Amino acid sequence: MRRPTLFLAFWLLGSLVLAFIVVPLLSLVAAPGLTGLLRAAAMPDVRAAIALSLGAAFVAALFAAAFGVPLAYVLARSAFPGKGVVEAVVDLPLTVPHTVAGIALLLAFGREGVLGEPAAAWFGLRFWGTFAGIVVAMLFVSLPYAVNAARIGFEEAIDPHLEKVARTLGAGPWRVFTRIALPLAWRGVMAGVTLTFARAISEFATVALLAYYPMTAPIKVYELFLRFGLDDATGAAVLFLGIVLLLFVVLRQFAYGRGGNRGFGR
Amino acid sequence: MSAQALSVENVRIELGAFALRDVSLGVDPGEILVLLGANGAGKSVILETIAGFHRPSHGRVRIGARDVTSLPPEARHVGYVFQNFALFPHLSVAQNVRFATQARGRAGVERPAGERRIAALLERFGLTRLADRRPADLSGGEKQRVALARALATDPVVFLFDEPFSALDAATRDTLRDELADFLRDARVPAVYVTHDYAEAMALADRVAVVDGGTLVQEGPAERVFAAPRTERIARLIGVENIVEGRVRTVNAATAVVALGATEFRVSLQDRVATPGQRVSVSIRAEELSLLPAGQAAPAREIAVPATVLRLAGHGPLVRVGCDCGFPLTAYVTRAQCRQMALAPGGALTVAFPSEALNLLVA
Repeated sequence: MRRPTLFLAFWLLGSLVLAFIVVPLLSLVAAPGLTGLLRAAAMPDVRAAIALSLGAAFVAALFAAAFGVPLAYVLARSAFPGKGVVEAVVDLPLTVPHTVAGIALLLAFGREGVLGEPAAAWFGLRFWGTFAGIVVAMLFVSLPYAVNAARIGFEEAIDPHLEKVARTLGAGPWRVFTRIALPLAWRGVMAGVTLTFARAISEFATVALLAYYPMTAPIKVYELFLRFGLDDATGAAVLFLGIVLLLFVVLRQFAYGRGGNRGFGR
Repeated sequence: MSAQALSVENVRIELGAFALRDVSLGVDPGEILVLLGANGAGKSVILETIAGFHRPSHGRVRIGARDVTSLPPEARHVGYVFQNFALFPHLSVAQNVRFATQARGRAGVERPAGERRIAALLERFGLTRLADRRPADLSGGEKQRVALARALATDPVVFLFDEPFSALDAATRDTLRDELADFLRDARVPAVYVTHDYAEAMALADRVAVVDGGTLVQEGPAERVFAAPRTERIARLIGVENIVEGRVRTVNAATAVVALGATEFRVSLQDRVATPGQRVSVSIRAEELSLLPAGQAAPAREIAVPATVLRLAGHGPLVRVGCDCGFPLTAYVTRAQCRQMALAPGGALTVAFPSEALNLLVA
């Protein structure tokens, strides 16, 4: 009977992992007390920073879905020379240190950057110290999650015969995508959007380099810590954490909720 | 050629390491052609080429009077039925069928007519009360009926079946096969049916094409192909139980005398070539063999060979009887016959078969 011992040992090791995650967060949540929390909530700049983070991460997640899902479908459904290179490029942001990513984005999207200059000239769009800059920084670090999760959705949630049969029933590739592939991969797509949002809203370094101002919540927490110490930072941190966790619960419910495939294409 | 419901002419396709080489086949109206072969032989690729998922590098595909070689799948009007029936899991039964009519772009002006047609199809396949169910809540038989109704909704010129029953249990498979055979006979829609199961092929086929290594190695009326495979490899692919080695004694214009064990048999040459002294193989289908009590005379125009029972093995309602006639032969009898004849290992009996059952195989 080796199995029970094995599982017992693995559970012991696993519970260390869980404790490692939960204990710091619980310490954080327990620290400020209700008064600290209310004081943070009463600060207009903290509220603005949290709202900005939510807004920018939401926009980043939308962009990630709009541009990442088509790429995910291409990667899931076609074989082409250089596919490995494309896959590596998609995963690149996961391996680039975030300060390095920030510098790279500054160079590309800055006033004289290859992307920043034409964007300013043609659309009046500036990225240094703007909402657009925050979104770009968030998008860069979080896009791989949107692409990879959607791709897994397309690859694993869909029997390829379904798309073939849809074609023989008279549906063109666009109709097959919107009526069959997307609804069936919806969970994967939503999981990707949720992960993108999570990654985007928690990003600090890349955002700080491209757009320290206006301040997103992670930067605000850092600033409070530097200027006023742990107590003030803790209140804002817990408020931010609470709002983000609440949002994830709702998003996960939407993405993975009962029936999974419901809520789209019906 | 143009009178055929489907014709594939000299099609060549390269798909990575796999290639179809000069595949030609035709299906007449109301006919069922079974593509039979081992896994990886290229049967599904042929089907997918007919449906429009692969573009041949050479050759043409015609459906009805139309040359569809360069048309995409959605413009070809084929009814494709896949393994497990490939019903859209997120759509109800009615929505699955409706998908076909809408996808053909008839939704706008003809909506009421389209809905009447869907209702009629559901009615015809006994699906009306299941219209709002999801595929996950259907039995295997119900799924098949939805798949057929959905395919019919597009007015297909030809039906394509890609091993629709391969993931089902044996009992369900037999029932659904009977239902499918009835449907195809009634609907008179020609069909190409892919399977690696020769029993399925025998049950459904008007014509059989044996596929091996990306080519058609033998094609013809089902009973002809099953009775007279050309090579030993084909004989094994189509499930011939008995392949016996022998030696050619003499040859004349139409027949050869072949020694199997100690017994000599006159075997029709058909289009084969044989020379005296040559080692050859002869195939004999188990279903051509009858087992008689030892010493009993064979029926008229049949050959009788004395034999000993080597082994008995249960095979569903049948018993598989391994015999030694100087060469090995396997036959089947019902369990009842086995009891009545008191068959037992070591016992003597007579094996009888028509001389046409002997089929000379070329190497």
